[in-house]
Amino acid sequence: MSVDASLSNTSMPSIDLPQLAHLNFEALSPRYAKSNRYINLFSMAFIISILFIVKFQRFIPLSTEASDVLSFIIFSIAFVGFISTVYTILADKRKFYSLREQDLNYRSGVIFSKTVSQPMLRIQHVELKRGPIDRKIGLAKLQVFSAGGAMHTFEIPGLPLETAESIRQFILDHKDVNQHG
Amino acid sequence: MLISMGKSTEAFRNNLQETTQSTEVSKSTKDWQRISPIAIIYFLAKIVVGFLSNIVVFLPVLYLSYDNFIANPHLWLPIGLGIIVVIGLSTFLSFYFFQYRLYQDHIEIRSGVISKTYVNLPFAKIQNVKLEQPIYYRPFGFTCLQLDTAGSAKQEAKVVALKIEFAEQLKKEILAQHKIANSAALNETTDTLDHSTTDKKDSEVVLNTRSISDLIIHGVTNNRIWIFLGGLAPFFDDFGRYIVDFFGGLGIDLEKFLTFADKPMWQIGLYAVTLTFIILLPFTLFSIAGSIITFYNYTLSKVGDRYIRRSGLLTKYEVIMRLSRLQMVVRQQDWLDVILKRINLKFEQNNSALNQHQASAQNSRIIVPSINPNECLALINDVYPDNKMMNVDYQSISKRFLLRNFGYILTPIFIFLSFSLFINDKASLLMALIPAYLFISLLIYMRWLRWGYAKGDNFIYIRKGYFGVDYYCFPIFKTQQVQFKQSWFQKRHQLSSVRIVLAAGAQDIPFINQALAYQLLDTAIYQVESSRKSWM
Repeated sequence: MSVDASLSNTSMPSIDLPQLAHLNFEALSPRYAKSNRYINLFSMAFIISILFIVKFQRFIPLSTEASDVLSFIIFSIAFVGFISTVYTILADKRKFYSLREQDLNYRSGVIFSKTVSQPMLRIQHVELKRGPIDRKIGLAKLQVFSAGGAMHTFEIPGLPLETAESIRQFILDHKDVNQHG
Repeated sequence: MLISMGKSTEAFRNNLQETTQSTEVSKSTKDWQRISPIAIIYFLAKIVVGFLSNIVVFLPVLYLSYDNFIANPHLWLPIGLGIIVVIGLSTFLSFYFFQYRLYQDHIEIRSGVISKTYVNLPFAKIQNVKLEQPIYYRPFGFTCLQLDTAGSAKQEAKVVALKIEFAEQLKKEILAQHKIANSAALNETTDTLDHSTTDKKDSEVVLNTRSISDLIIHGVTNNRIWIFLGGLAPFFDDFGRYIVDFFGGLGIDLEKFLTFADKPMWQIGLYAVTLTFIILLPFTLFSIAGSIITFYNYTLSKVGDRYIRRSGLLTKYEVIMRLSRLQMVVRQQDWLDVILKRINLKFEQNNSALNQHQASAQNSRIIVPSINPNECLALINDVYPDNKMMNVDYQSISKRFLLRNFGYILTPIFIFLSFSLFINDKASLLMALIPAYLFISLLIYMRWLRWGYAKGDNFIYIRKGYFGVDYYCFPIFKTQQVQFKQSWFQKRHQLSSVRIVLAAGAQDIPFINQALAYQLLDTAIYQVESSRKSWM
């Protein structure tokens, strides 16, 4: 097929290829995990304290039945909150990214680990996203879009702003992006 | 209006004169101009359909208050008239405000009554040119010209009514422009391709046509009847009663026919077959009608590196795809297709934009319905001459796929369900549960049996399916993104799952050896990065 005529270098032994199995991963900003922990903790504490106020207020007395149900709800929310906090701690420890000359890589996942690799050549545009908390603590989320569709947006959260900006600039300066984007 | 009409016909006449001298159409139409008034029908149809689809929710209310309408004509008549006037007015205004011009190899379109839209498309950025001819345009020789860009679905333009000859000419010019721009940008990689295009530039070769009988087969094999039946299941009882009553009304006692005690087995079997047939028939006919409406007079042809699909009974569609836009070839066979030895061949393009408006997605695809294996092979080889889709060795996925789905998911659910049935004294329901369990087990087994993959020098092949079998084949350099996935359990057995994202959608290969998976992904990324070829 004519389209593939220029590709004759495919039979090289795989050991010579740059290998995804041996990427040099870098950790996200430690502030990211910390902020996630606090967000998790505070939002849970907020919900629980509201429920406690409802339970012990004296303005509208609750029936014993409703009160029992409410304690059960508080208990289960506390339980879910605990699990999710533990999970967040574990999950944030397992998020890494790696920047190579030709592609971006991001690994995440506790039980199901997943490594996404995005070649620069296929990037259509880049976005930095910063929510209010990100802005407060100087972090940014890097989003990279390819023709693979919105479902497959490549994303690295919790980057220090300067890093995120320099990665973004690196992508934009990549000559293939200019040529084919 | 008259002036604008004069202009467009003038442009058209100019264009006809200029075709012989092969001068550009675009120079003759650099003023803003309206389209032919025939477009009013188009806008009217669009607005009426939009109006009806909005009002459909209120139909029961309208029906119930019918008496009210009749009783108070002085109130409802003006409202009805008002609606008609509004529809008429907005139709005329949509027509009036729709203007386009061609200027310096750009097409510009202004439209919209209240919220104005302005689209400016350089010819070189247009990815896809589509002609769409609704039935009411046919006597007058008009057509809609739809232009898609590679980017988002928002950035597309439709010129609603053009004379066919003018549209064809414009289309030719856009595509020609496109090729110049493209070959300039990619002259290193596509020089071989350009040779082939210049050689047979203007001769259109018909690759495939479909006869009515092919379309009927397509309708039968591809009807979604099983889904229908599944959805209707809750109403079967009422439906059955209605049928019995109906036949009772005709003086036929269906119940007597269907009392099996005194009938021989063959008769019962015959009844069952007939009954199934009677139920299936309307759905099948419906599906056949759909197939014929979409694919009537189907031709797939080729001009240079462009593939053109033309079809349609009521609205005629023409879809053009450049070979370089092709992302993936899919060879699809449902179980009925396997029995009848027919294949649906799909040439998948960039889907991410199409997904946003599903209705037109089916019509803008290049699909060849229900072809024979030989024809299919010829077409695939025409598109990708050095592919080995049908004679490559597919490696099957690990047996642990069976173990996970069957052992860790399905069986525990089954045991839990049957246990709870026993506890609740409904053991008789097991009669339904056990066949379901066995059937799903069979599905899982077939899924495992079908799922395979292979890597050629330039292509990745994937085979999957249940009772039917689908083959996917794509050039490795079309990869957009790759994903390597591994769970704890997979890691212990050195297994992993792989996802390769293309512009035409993501392809998964689960439960393959970790080393092979890494090798596959490394090669894919390497081919993308080393070839530096554009995916479109």
